[in-house]
Amino acid sequence: MSTEKRPDDYVLEINNISVSFDGFYALTDVRTKVRRNTVHFFIGPNGAGKTTLLDIICAKTKPTAGTVMFYPKDKEPVRLTGMKEYKIVQAGVGRKFQVPSVFVNLTVTENMILSLKGHKGILDSIFHTPTKEEMDSIHSTLKRVGLDDRADVRAGSLAHGQKQWLEIAMQLLQKPEIIMLDEPAAGMSKPETFKTGEILKEIKKECTVIVIEHDMDFVKQAADIVTVLHEGKMLMEGSISDVLADKTVQAVYLGRGGE
Amino acid sequence: MKLLKKQGDNICFAVIVIILALMPVFLKAGLLSGSSTVLFLGKCISFAIVAIGLDLIWGYTGILSLGHGLYFALGGYAMAMYLKLQETGGKITDFMHVGGLEELPLIWKPFNSFPLTLILIVLVPALAAYIIGYFIFKNRVKGVYFSIISQALTWAAYSIFIALSPYTNGNVGITEIKTIFGSIKGEAHQAEMFKLFYLALIILVLIYALAKFLVSRKFGKLLIAIRDGENRTYFSGYKVSAYKTFIYVLSAVIAGIAGAVFVNFNGSITPSQMTISYSITMVIWVAVGGRGTIIGAVIGAFLINLCEYNLSSGSMVEIWQYIIGAVFCVVIIFFKGGIVGIVKEQLPALIRKIKGKPAETAAKEVS
Amino acid sequence: MAQFVNTLFNGLSLSSIILLTSLGLAITFGLMRVINMAHGEFVMIGAYTTYVVQEIFKSVFPESMRDIYYFAAIPAAFAVTFLLGSLLERFVIQRLYGREIDSLLATWGISLILQQAARSIFGTQGVNVTAPSFLNGGATVGGCTFSYNRLFIIFMVALCLLLVWFIMYKSNFGKQMRAVMQNRTMAQCMGINSRRVDNITFAIGSGLAGIAGCSVALLGSIDSTVGQSYIVNSFMAVVLGGVGKLSGTVIGSAIIGSASIFTENYTSSTIAKAIVLLIVIVFLQKRPQGLFVIKSRNLDE
Repeated sequence: MSTEKRPDDYVLEINNISVSFDGFYALTDVRTKVRRNTVHFFIGPNGAGKTTLLDIICAKTKPTAGTVMFYPKDKEPVRLTGMKEYKIVQAGVGRKFQVPSVFVNLTVTENMILSLKGHKGILDSIFHTPTKEEMDSIHSTLKRVGLDDRADVRAGSLAHGQKQWLEIAMQLLQKPEIIMLDEPAAGMSKPETFKTGEILKEIKKECTVIVIEHDMDFVKQAADIVTVLHEGKMLMEGSISDVLADKTVQAVYLGRGGE
Repeated sequence: MKLLKKQGDNICFAVIVIILALMPVFLKAGLLSGSSTVLFLGKCISFAIVAIGLDLIWGYTGILSLGHGLYFALGGYAMAMYLKLQETGGKITDFMHVGGLEELPLIWKPFNSFPLTLILIVLVPALAAYIIGYFIFKNRVKGVYFSIISQALTWAAYSIFIALSPYTNGNVGITEIKTIFGSIKGEAHQAEMFKLFYLALIILVLIYALAKFLVSRKFGKLLIAIRDGENRTYFSGYKVSAYKTFIYVLSAVIAGIAGAVFVNFNGSITPSQMTISYSITMVIWVAVGGRGTIIGAVIGAFLINLCEYNLSSGSMVEIWQYIIGAVFCVVIIFFKGGIVGIVKEQLPALIRKIKGKPAETAAKEVS
Repeated sequence: MAQFVNTLFNGLSLSSIILLTSLGLAITFGLMRVINMAHGEFVMIGAYTTYVVQEIFKSVFPESMRDIYYFAAIPAAFAVTFLLGSLLERFVIQRLYGREIDSLLATWGISLILQQAARSIFGTQGVNVTAPSFLNGGATVGGCTFSYNRLFIIFMVALCLLLVWFIMYKSNFGKQMRAVMQNRTMAQCMGINSRRVDNITFAIGSGLAGIAGCSVALLGSIDSTVGQSYIVNSFMAVVLGGVGKLSGTVIGSAIIGSASIFTENYTSSTIAKAIVLLIVIVFLQKRPQGLFVIKSRNLDE
């Protein structure tokens, strides 16, 4: 792979990914590239394969064919396909899952401490105390998502939207180069969704954001590039206005979804 | 009050330790009927130690091992082999003669040396647990599957120990042994018994302190994280399987140490200490005391064994089995937090209810 | 050759007994995700029921009628354990759905109680069941002896298997059962009384243990721990075969049964235990996903 010319402004390259579950193809020959420091949306009707695609990038699911390449800044390219998930996270690709999955029996701060970059080894976890800078960055990240006043609350007692933000905050703290969000605005109210959109626009300065979302207002608010998936295939890719104007997209998705 | 809330566990543990430390004094003062109580409490100390180890993997990490009797017995056998050789002066034992052996088998030889024995008490359970843990956790066998495998493992080890009777004395186990301080029987050897008792108590305090230290660190939070969301922890960048193997090995070592302590007070070790039912009995201690709190494991181990000691003599023996079965069942269904949970959560909630405080704030505090 | 056939037959025999005890487990564990540690005690209860029925026949019926006691014992054992299973579900298991490990522990408490109850009633000494006279002896074919006893058990297992298959896949109740186990909420919306289905499903699983007890009674003396000696193998068979599929349990039992007998033949029964365990662990290395596939979008259930 190293013989290939390195695409400087791309951070992720999805090469001809196909995946089948018992003969059913959830994804067929999907290929796309994700530009650095953008908010890249994947949209499509239910069952289009959006979540499966994220599963493949972060190694929760193995693809039947194809590879995913990750181009970290100033480092050698990394082939994500076939790597262990915790190594992918350590390499700089973080993911927030669709269902909020914070650690409910730990406090917000403890959740954040677990997400700090580095110190993932056993001995470190026993003997390393978070430094002042690390604690400061926890506080500032919590502030960014508006959870600074809930730092000592048990994460399980947070409201749904707050859990989503906490998870985003946990991802930010890892300082990943790519952060993948699966329906971050699901179950949020309009103002909460808007706030989430603003957060995304801000964090793309530091990393690349890949988002799956249904809410079109949210997509319009935050998207730089939109990829439309339909029945496991790529339908089109472009700016949000291009996508909205496209006849086929309207037919398969927008016309049906009603949003 | 605040101190009590924050340091409640440690205060409670300190009280237990002080009471235990006073026992030999009571005996001297004639307040206890005989030395058997002290010997029994010594056994309880070893049970509390193994319960702490079990709590670390079950209460904190959510891995239910039904096979900790194996590690307990491995440590116990290692110690017993040393003590037996002390007895025979490093010569071949009677049961080996019966089993047709001519000289001391190779695996017994290291146990002639006391330092080597101490090392092996730690090393043998650690190695066994590492091999098993490595292969099982690497492939993410978890939940009840792990429990079933651990149970089968104990079962296989049990039958192997019985089959190798020339080496292990089969069903009878290793008996007629003294302690590391020599004989502790009778008035004349009371000083030795006290020495042994205080040594056991010190080991308990050390293990408690170690466990408390570990769970207070980020490591402890990670264990809880693994329990509540194993996959999520992987996606936070942690090699969960390594953590699980580590804590499994650690708790096996703690069980091995407990077994070694136990042998000194019990005067023998038999394969029945490594049966499935013995292993689950250990789980009962932790469950009743309160899983997920180190102090709960200690309380449970003492309480259940004290009850058993006092109830399971004579005609009560039958009733005791019914009681322990029913108590265990009720605790699991209704009181997940065990005794500690009742004291910390259910009682305050009840008091608030009686006082008529709004239930909402109460619920919030509890959760 | 004769030796080989004999070993094969013994393997088949052991497999069938393991299968009989694991059929019930496959239902309670595989379908309902409840780990019933008291399953072995239900086997014991089935065996004791056989004993009791035999004693009743001895005192009530004339000598010539005694052999048929066994045919009365089978439904009796099923009925007793079915009822007990239903009660257990109603008062204990029901509160533990979705808490697999807790169900394991709570039922262990139950098994302690049942074992003690057996000791209180029947004493600590083992009791014996005399096999019906027509099961004595065996058929000899070309130097190999097939004892009627074991042939009969194999036949009984086949019958039970057929019955379970019919209930699960062909009957109306089976449809309801599978519907509830796959999607409880949806099934309730369709008007299925899921409480009742749970209860009966668990009771059937327990009843099968009772029938297993009948055949165990033919093989040796019965005491309060007779169930324990079979239960470990049965759990392994269910794990090995994969959860929720009847065919998996059959194959799992067959592998464990024949592996035990074959290794036992060449080594010893203790080494056989260790080897069987090794097989299961190696299998889990190769196919852990056969046991645990995460298909939900929820990361940790």
